[in-house]
Amino acid sequence: MPIHDQGYRRYGGDKAPRGQAWMVIARNGIRHMLGKRAFLGLLLLSWFPFFVRAVQIYAAANLPQAAFLAPTPETFRQFLDQQQIFVFFVTVYVGAGLIANDRRANALQIYLSKPLTRSEYVFGKLAILMTFLLIVTWLPAIVLLIVQLAFAGNFTFLRNNIFLFPAITVFAFIQVTLVATAMLALSSLSNSSRYVGILYSAVIFFTQAIYGVLFAVTRSTSFSWISFPANLAQIGDVIFRLPPASSPRRASSSSGASAAWRSSRDDERGRSGDRNRRRRSSLKVVRPGHRVE
Amino acid sequence: MSVSVPPGITGLLGPNGAGKSTFMKVITGQLKPSKGTITVLGEPIWNNPSLYFRIGFCPEQDSFYERMTGLEWVTALVRLNGLSDGDATEMAHRALKAVELTDAANKKIGAYSKGMRQRVKMAQALAHDPHLLILDEPLSGMDPIARRKTIRMVKDWARAGKSIIVSSHILHEIESMTSNILLINQGRILAEGNVHQIRDLIDEHPHTVYIRAEQTRALARAFLAQDDVLSLRFEDEAVVVQTGRPDAFYARLTDLAASGELGAIHEVTSPDDNLQAVFKYLVKS
Amino acid sequence: MKPPPLVQSSVRIFDLSLGQMLWSRRSVFLGVLLGGPVLLALALRIVSTLYEAGFRINGVRAAGASIFGMMIWLLYLRFIVPILGVFYGTALIADEVDDKTITYLFTRPIPRRAVLFGKFLAYLACTVLLVLPSVMLVFFLVVPTGGGSIGAAFPSLVGDFGMLIVGLAAYGAVFAFVGTGVKRPLIVGLVFSFGWEPTVLLLPGYLKRLTVAYYLQALVKHEMPQDSAVSVLMQVFREVPSVAASLVCLAAIVAGTLWLSGRAVENREYVLEQ
Repeated sequence: MPIHDQGYRRYGGDKAPRGQAWMVIARNGIRHMLGKRAFLGLLLLSWFPFFVRAVQIYAAANLPQAAFLAPTPETFRQFLDQQQIFVFFVTVYVGAGLIANDRRANALQIYLSKPLTRSEYVFGKLAILMTFLLIVTWLPAIVLLIVQLAFAGNFTFLRNNIFLFPAITVFAFIQVTLVATAMLALSSLSNSSRYVGILYSAVIFFTQAIYGVLFAVTRSTSFSWISFPANLAQIGDVIFRLPPASSPRRASSSSGASAAWRSSRDDERGRSGDRNRRRRSSLKVVRPGHRVE
Repeated sequence: MSVSVPPGITGLLGPNGAGKSTFMKVITGQLKPSKGTITVLGEPIWNNPSLYFRIGFCPEQDSFYERMTGLEWVTALVRLNGLSDGDATEMAHRALKAVELTDAANKKIGAYSKGMRQRVKMAQALAHDPHLLILDEPLSGMDPIARRKTIRMVKDWARAGKSIIVSSHILHEIESMTSNILLINQGRILAEGNVHQIRDLIDEHPHTVYIRAEQTRALARAFLAQDDVLSLRFEDEAVVVQTGRPDAFYARLTDLAASGELGAIHEVTSPDDNLQAVFKYLVKS
Repeated sequence: MKPPPLVQSSVRIFDLSLGQMLWSRRSVFLGVLLGGPVLLALALRIVSTLYEAGFRINGVRAAGASIFGMMIWLLYLRFIVPILGVFYGTALIADEVDDKTITYLFTRPIPRRAVLFGKFLAYLACTVLLVLPSVMLVFFLVVPTGGGSIGAAFPSLVGDFGMLIVGLAAYGAVFAFVGTGVKRPLIVGLVFSFGWEPTVLLLPGYLKRLTVAYYLQALVKHEMPQDSAVSVLMQVFREVPSVAASLVCLAAIVAGTLWLSGRAVENREYVLEQ
């Protein structure tokens, strides 16, 4: 017919099989976040430690004077540790509003009135956060391993440390899954993303602070189960076949204190495989402002 | 926009997205005009808190401190006018009485119905006896009985000497309150003044007159002889005429009715001498 | 007619906001959070009572006062006070905007900055009412352990109260300013409290003066526990101003940031979400 009907017509094309609706949510969420310049800046910043490490690896491979900078399995463990700060901020930035914003906008009713199961909805939201967290943890760590291979020009390091690839993958996935599920659970409790962000920060920092106090009093890491970051740290040490840390890590590890502490740990680990037994734990009590001679 | 709003009730009309709420926010000092100046009651409104003694604003949004009772909430807001606790409570009581919420004054706002929430919003706007009341969609969400009550209240306040600006996109609500309108669309004024005067001024748009009579064909013959009749059609026992000169047409029609030579004329109405027709015409043009 | 004076308007906003803040779900959550140190103190007290040896550090029995001081520093000053400041301070006006109740306050004959000041006072009162009971309970539970004396330690408790109130005021004012000017104040607040401050405090030079913690730590009278590498490093770089200088600087921070916040609120347009 010459004049076509411009009214509503039923869709006659192919439909995706059931169970893939979560991908629509994930895709839209990822696209939405990538449209924010501030967030792109955060992602870019999160790769800065990667570049620093890449330079370190290059120098170690090409400059004899810099041989002491040669990477070890601990280098990759430390790198993932350093990325914790970005994990925290990406989790708060992306994750706080994942379900909270939908609750606020009454969008849940609309979502669940579509042919979308609750599991697909949750999984789709989880996928958004996990994607960005993996971009900040697993991806740079694996690329760093590849960079090491490329700069070294041989497979010696990889052959000697073949466990590194699965270790990085397993630890990154455990970390990302734990963090993402925790944040998603908190996000579902409120319709204010600000409140959720604070709630998450409280869980992380407060548990760490409580553990810090208990450690300072008891000098024992047996209370590390209280602290979310300390728990993850213990898991990481086991996966990377390292002796467990003897003092609490700080959750926000961008500080110089953390770097100083890690370098002191490196010294300890570098000299012996079982430093902790021989280390004496000493506690000095000093007033603020007084130098220690 | 360049507009001067007279005393009495002025209806601010426009379709969704016309700029009614934005206009309300500008005249209540919540938004700054990007260009030009705005004065309310003769003074600039932006950052001029003393003007709010004379202005009462009932916003569109349905937001409250839900845990407070109606009385507590209105009293707390009136206290911000610098009144003592006792005076503020008394004024709050009076305002709640004016909006017929005395019985529910000590109930939490969270338990109020939609109509009650709208009324308590109006109570806080008029509790301090302002000279100018600005009501943004005051009838939104109300049932028909509550609407009628509110319209009656608004008219009573106007009769008591207050100037009131009421915004709505529902024409018959405004029509039932006032014939003085400010019609806006896409951030511009389309018309302001008395709705009938506006109608008369729309020369290009012919007037439609509906005449139900005994001898519609004879009437039609008589009408067609005149050059001011632009078109004509028949409906059940009636003839609908479009004329470019309504005054002359009505004068002739009156004579015809009085003489009776073309039979009895039962009904004469003008379907487009109302706000809806004016609105439709101006908004679409 | 002249609007009521700024102080009177602020006090009336304080009256209106205190009840809202104190009985909100947020405050209930924070109250639960502040129960954490109390539970910890209770656990320490029980352990200390059950094991006569008490807590021993380097073979020396730890006094309750040092444990209390450590808890004040690690839990309250380095975590709870900044978190309360971020949580409430960034949301003073933002909460009203999100709830769309700001219209009622801004169409009253009071200066806009009175709304901010009143809400700040309400925040201070609310947080003090939450924090101080928690500190007191911790004090009474922990100080007697290891042979400590409540009477002897009581003056330091009063000092700690003052220090915590000053900390709450300073952080609240700083984050109130952040909240008026920045799009994502929560992230900025967390970066400042848990990224910038801990980092900069370790570095030599003048950067540390751009923190609140630098001035607050001068008010801490407790003996700080010191661990090997990190604390030695911290102690080497730590310069602490005098108490008087710190108080003056903190007062200036509060006054300055509140004034700037007031200006921002007066000049900004708040567009409500449709």
